Amino acid sequence: MDAAERELLAETFRKTMTASSGCALDAALTELGWTELLAELPDVAIPMTFRLLGETGAQAPLINDVLLNAAGRSLGGTLPLPYAGGSWVVWDRSAGPRPKASTALDGDLPLLPVPAGAAVPLAAGRRALGWWLVGTGRAMLSLARLHALDRVQFGRQIASFQAVRHRLAETLVTLEGAEAALLAAEDDLGSLLAKAAAGQAALTRHCQQVLGGIGFTAEHDLHRHVRRALVLDGLLGSALELTREAGRLLREQRRTPRLVHL
Amino acid sequence: MNVAEFRAGLQAWLAGHDLTPGPDHSLDGQVAQVARVRRALYDAGWMRYGWPAEVGGLGGPAVFRAVLGEEVTTRDLAEPGIYSMVEVLAPTMISYARPPLAHEMVPMLLSGREQWCQGFSEPGSGSDLASLSTRAVPRGDAWVVTGQKVWTSLAQYASRCVLLTRTAPGHDGITALFVDMDTPGISVRPLRTMHGVDEFAEVFFDDVIVPGDRMLGRPGDGWRLAMDLLPYERSTCFWHRIAYLYTRLDRLLAEAAFPLGADTAEADLGAAYLALHVARCRSLATQRRLNEGARLGPETSIDKVLLAAAEQRLYDTVRDLLPGVLELTESPWRAEYLYSRAATIYGGTAEIQRNIIARRLLDLGRE
Repeated sequence: MDAAERELLAETFRKTMTASSGCALDAALTELGWTELLAELPDVAIPMTFRLLGETGAQAPLINDVLLNAAGRSLGGTLPLPYAGGSWVVWDRSAGPRPKASTALDGDLPLLPVPAGAAVPLAAGRRALGWWLVGTGRAMLSLARLHALDRVQFGRQIASFQAVRHRLAETLVTLEGAEAALLAAEDDLGSLLAKAAAGQAALTRHCQQVLGGIGFTAEHDLHRHVRRALVLDGLLGSALELTREAGRLLREQRRTPRLVHL
Repeated sequence: MNVAEFRAGLQAWLAGHDLTPGPDHSLDGQVAQVARVRRALYDAGWMRYGWPAEVGGLGGPAVFRAVLGEEVTTRDLAEPGIYSMVEVLAPTMISYARPPLAHEMVPMLLSGREQWCQGFSEPGSGSDLASLSTRAVPRGDAWVVTGQKVWTSLAQYASRCVLLTRTAPGHDGITALFVDMDTPGISVRPLRTMHGVDEFAEVFFDDVIVPGDRMLGRPGDGWRLAMDLLPYERSTCFWHRIAYLYTRLDRLLAEAAFPLGADTAEADLGAAYLALHVARCRSLATQRRLNEGARLGPETSIDKVLLAAAEQRLYDTVRDLLPGVLELTESPWRAEYLYSRAATIYGGTAEIQRNIIARRLLDLGRE
């Protein structure tokens, strides 16, 4: 797939995600060839699709497919997913009325607690969620940037104040860093670190702070992204847990793995 | 020769040639050691790869220089800050010096025969570099320079200086000169840093005559020269420094006793490692772009913020996991920890980097 084809496909996916979400989006993406794309070109499919989910604010149960694909199982179903703190959830994808309501902080996500599950291949899933978190972070940065340029106080755009500019700059730094880690992630440890970096980047409070009072209301879109980032961070291990896991590895091995090379 | 072949050949050569530093860890000793390492690597050819033939190089991609510096700093053969200075000075000469001057001078630098310095900052011009006021006035075919520079690294060891001077008002009124440091009228006063090293100096210019053919570029090109060298500093130099910081994390892992319990230590170590890994991934992407011929620009401010933050986090972790060591003993960690405090100050402060990111990358308009 060349660059022009990728761009065209990304545009199609973006439009689809803007028009629908949840089960409807799941069906629409399947129609557009998501499962074939994932099976044939996972390194194209995963970054593009999951980042777009973040940027558009849409959601779909595609993480199931990523893990099923990595496990060599047939796509389209669900499987129990490990969550922070040792819990397990299922990302429901049934089209009909749900068996019970989700109690997730992000009420749009049909995450249902389950007692336990079997081990799942984590690396591809962590990369996918990392891209989603980076996309969510970019969406928040974009909202905060627009607000900073629109909002006038003391007779000036608040974007002209260094305190505001530096918060937005710091947000971009962490997002770009996370994206570099995602692009370089190949093995288990690289994927773990990339998701940790993406979780940290999406959870910085800078964007919400720049948005001031309006960013705290349910009338502005920011809260949707904040909720999503908080919930996605815990899925397949939170930034805190993953960072600690990396530290444990270092302490045990007494050597720092160099994962990327010129 | 590709990168893997270059690295393998270099590693084999280093295995057969002992360049381990001697017992003198003073600044004199470090500068002498860098010269020794450069000389040996130049004579064996390794130091010449990645540089064009016009300046004594053997050609090949610039990424060879990143590999060379990584192998040198990973083995602790040379102090990385001093070693990497060529990565800023030589490209400046190649881009701006008259070709015969670059041809004559750059090999002296690469081969370790000379150390050079960079006269940019002034007492009144730090973050606001473009306000610099060291004056250069034409007299016949020459320039006469008067003024003062500060934070000039290794000036007391330098044979030459890439000097920014004021020749007219504004950003377009800055002119770069290549000055012999033994010219009459130049005096150097080293500054003692808080980590006990005379790493930089004040340099005074009192009616210093600089021949006209020592101008770098044309009159008024100085600001562009200063901006052009930042991407070099932030690609190859950063890769070297990150490689060096990995060796320090290794050293910490070997020495730490984890007194506060495994859990705290693991969280700290993981955070330090994550920050270093992210900086390394970003630097890798920058190296790749440079290698593909991209022109690096303000986006390298992101590399700078990531690296400085990672460096300080690493040394904060060192202090946490080796309690009392840098406070009560004369361990090498002490100087390294103290030096890390400058990482968000030198080479453009963290605040200036964020200003650049806000203005140029986020397009937030003027302050």
